[in-house]
Amino acid sequence: MQRKFLVFVFFPIVIMLYGIAVPLQAVSAEKGGRSETCKACHQGHYNSYINSPHAKKAIRKSPANAEGCESCHGDGKSHIQKGGGGGIDIFIFRDKKVDGTAKSAKCLDCHAESRTLSHWDMGAHKTAGVSCDNCHTVHSGKKMNLKTAQPELCLSCHRGIRMQITKQSHHPIREGKMKCTDCHDHHGGFEKKLIKAGSVNELCYTCHAEKRGPYFWEHPPVEENCQTCHTVHGSNHGKLLTHRVPQLCQSCHDATRHPGTIYTNFGNFGAASQSNRMFARSCLNCHSEVHGSTAPSSRGKTLVR
Amino acid sequence: MAILGLWGTAFGEEGKLSGDISVTGVIREGKDSSAKFNEYRDIRDGIYGSINLKYDTPKQYVSFESKDIAYDTQSYAIEGGWWDIFRLRLYYDEMPHNFTYNARSLYSGVGTNYLTYAGATPVTNSLGWNTFDYTIRRKNMGGGLKFDYLNPFYLDVNVDQQRKSGVYPLAAAGTTPGGIGIELPTNIDYTTNNIKLDVGYSTKPLFLSVNYLYSRFENGESFQNFRNPATANTAAAMDTLYLPPENDYHKFGFKGGVALPFNSKFSVDLSSARARSSVTLSNMYVSNVTAAASNIGIRGLTGVALSNPYFNGNVSTDQLNLALTSNPKPFLNAKIFYKYYNKDNKSDVITTIDGANTYHNHLFDYRKNIYGAEVGVKLPAQFRVTAAYSFTKTERAREDFPKNRDNLIDLGLKWSGLKFMNAKVGYEYLDRAAEFHSLMDPVANLEPWVRRFDAAGQTRNTYKASVEFFPLDTLSLNIGYKYKHSDYKDTILGLTDTKAHEANADIDWQIHKRLRLFGYFDFEQRTLDQFQRQTTVNNDPALPPTATSFNWTSEAKENSYGYGIGADISIITDKLTLSLVHNSIKSDGTIDYTYLLGALPLPAGQNQDTIDLSSWDNYRLNNYVAKATYQVTKMLAVSATYAFEDFSYEDSQYSNYLYVPGTTGYMTGAYGDQSYRTHVVFLSVNVKF
Repeated sequence: MQRKFLVFVFFPIVIMLYGIAVPLQAVSAEKGGRSETCKACHQGHYNSYINSPHAKKAIRKSPANAEGCESCHGDGKSHIQKGGGGGIDIFIFRDKKVDGTAKSAKCLDCHAESRTLSHWDMGAHKTAGVSCDNCHTVHSGKKMNLKTAQPELCLSCHRGIRMQITKQSHHPIREGKMKCTDCHDHHGGFEKKLIKAGSVNELCYTCHAEKRGPYFWEHPPVEENCQTCHTVHGSNHGKLLTHRVPQLCQSCHDATRHPGTIYTNFGNFGAASQSNRMFARSCLNCHSEVHGSTAPSSRGKTLVR
Repeated sequence: MAILGLWGTAFGEEGKLSGDISVTGVIREGKDSSAKFNEYRDIRDGIYGSINLKYDTPKQYVSFESKDIAYDTQSYAIEGGWWDIFRLRLYYDEMPHNFTYNARSLYSGVGTNYLTYAGATPVTNSLGWNTFDYTIRRKNMGGGLKFDYLNPFYLDVNVDQQRKSGVYPLAAAGTTPGGIGIELPTNIDYTTNNIKLDVGYSTKPLFLSVNYLYSRFENGESFQNFRNPATANTAAAMDTLYLPPENDYHKFGFKGGVALPFNSKFSVDLSSARARSSVTLSNMYVSNVTAAASNIGIRGLTGVALSNPYFNGNVSTDQLNLALTSNPKPFLNAKIFYKYYNKDNKSDVITTIDGANTYHNHLFDYRKNIYGAEVGVKLPAQFRVTAAYSFTKTERAREDFPKNRDNLIDLGLKWSGLKFMNAKVGYEYLDRAAEFHSLMDPVANLEPWVRRFDAAGQTRNTYKASVEFFPLDTLSLNIGYKYKHSDYKDTILGLTDTKAHEANADIDWQIHKRLRLFGYFDFEQRTLDQFQRQTTVNNDPALPPTATSFNWTSEAKENSYGYGIGADISIITDKLTLSLVHNSIKSDGTIDYTYLLGALPLPAGQNQDTIDLSSWDNYRLNNYVAKATYQVTKMLAVSATYAFEDFSYEDSQYSNYLYVPGTTGYMTGAYGDQSYRTHVVFLSVNVKF
């Protein structure tokens, strides 16, 4: 499988890249700036800058095609005349007292036209004064210039989520198989919690397309919001359930016969009133098709087939 | 390497090749019967590797990343491009989802869609049953092209395939209504193919984007056939569990934004989507041979009459988002927005006549209208206040709660007045009004007394506070607290109240250039209260209790805490480092039941204390990791890691597990044995260049 994938997909694509790339021509020259002067005192920062995409002249709007260091830090003439020093007549991003909007504005001078930032104005991050440098460092040569990898980066502010993703039932976030940005558009969007879809269900179906139906027999709360029963970041209960079964089901299904019956410790394995409505997966021991069914008659209606 | 070499030669430019290659040997020792340790991982004896390469020229780049080569978590990605012209990425990624190892089933044929057993009735001694693993393997592969050569026009194309295969625990009732529960090892064979296109124009002051998504879900198994031990039929009479239908999903969308005076922007998001499925419905089902008058007389099958044997599922979703944002002054930003979301179910309504019973499927759909405003203001003395209000009107095709009206207010205040700290407080208030309808007689039914929490009226208050200290460049300390209370004010039967306390703290301190200490502590307490009624005839919850008609309550409480401590120690500068980490999380859950029987006695042998559950998903996870890394040369590093992980799980519903619990069902052990204790040693060699 993997070999076929390499032969039929990877290699042809590489050859295609070769064909496209060779005829393309390069770009403009540097306009000016004092980067070499900055280098004299800030060797470390200069080295990281020169290895980053910001130093690429092939990128039209990069600092390398403008004023170099001063593209982001402002005119350094006075800073140099005063003998330098952290924040002396120069704009520095690490100053925690500088307003986030002002910091972001520096980045947006060049990046505002990026399609990934087309809805930056819409997001809760902007409203709350979060700035680009809270997550990115301009001097890194690392991918996306992130300060740290996800989820640690996001958890450094969203600390309440830290416990959720370490609970026994969780999405594979701490295993590195899912990232916060798989579901959330950190750069802004129209939706609550910056989710990357028009509704919660639409987002969940991205990976769980089998739940999309449309089913013959539906379970209305399921169709409206997966989060009626599931919590997304982590739960003490299996299947990321917000509450344990049978309690979760009984919250809505109180009726004569078994839905309204009190199932207690006496319904568990080997107990006096052992019941398949209580032990193991409780209601799900029979009603496993809770997301919908196409089975005939009452078997489908009651989601037991 | 060959690819990267080819790439470099092609450009004819001097480039820089960098990367790293590592090889890791793993030795694992411990209890292997639990799948929980490797729920999403593949840590086992063996050797795996990773290769990361990047070839970078002034104009182009190509990179290759791989992880866990030869393991079930392996991933590969290659990305290349020409700065500002195009970027192309291809990837392949695997992940297991292990649920239970060594499960047992009375059936043969696990892993196929045909589960059967020999003889007239199943063997009840589970020791002789077939064993298998509940495992799903997920394989994702795809690629994407971002083309910017015609900037400000752009094109994004992404294609991907997601495959899921394995055995998953589903279940069926032996008969209905009631009957035994039969756990079924169900064969899973899902494939989803997606293609996304996005063409746009992005510059100041205008952003326009037209996008399209096509997604097709294919199910290799439409049914899980199984011999039903509850129906006393011959081996030839196979019962059927119906698996998710295949579906097609199309979505067209438009997004736009235009800059306006006063540093304002108007944005729009418009989309229309449709999901379709097509299923041939069965006009019969397996039942007990003597169960139904309409029995058609062959192999215990009961026939039903369908108004249409073909079900066409057809759900369309339309949405419109409008927003006006403004940042007229540096201290002020504001947003007003409107959202319309309409899910319209145009699927077939089909009538089923089954003997004396007639059923038809009810089509559920809903629409939401949401509008609101947000404002952020920077005030003197380093205060920043945020305020938001939204109103949501939901209309749904549901008998009990056809309408909701939500008023949501969110307030936040941040103070950054001191050089060494920030402080934040927040408050959120939700008032949900719900229109309740029931056509049923409240004397003859419980339904008119039930208020389902997903749409029931509620008031919710959330309070938040946090403080961030950074007295030194090398020290940060953070403390946070949140309290959330939902009062389902109109609920008679159902979930009546939920409360959650959350607290967290963390510290990160670079004490010395050779020593960094870090740690965190999290606490959470959740309480959920329910008021329910068990009855056969007297449905009004206000009626005095009888032995068969009475109210009862449950209070579920979960206390969870987690902490972690760690240290990074540089023993020999730039040569030898030691990293020590310990993490722990513990949760204790209980259910406190109360029979509201007045003076009447509880069932024989029971009292209000012995009915409670003391283990409700109780678990504790401890792990310890010690890692020593020796930098032999600038390019070569070796590391040795020892990890110990101990997970103990206890739950009342799984204690004293029985595969054949009397006459109530046939179980397989799914999720039954989760505890583990494992030692792992990793030895790695890493070469950087």
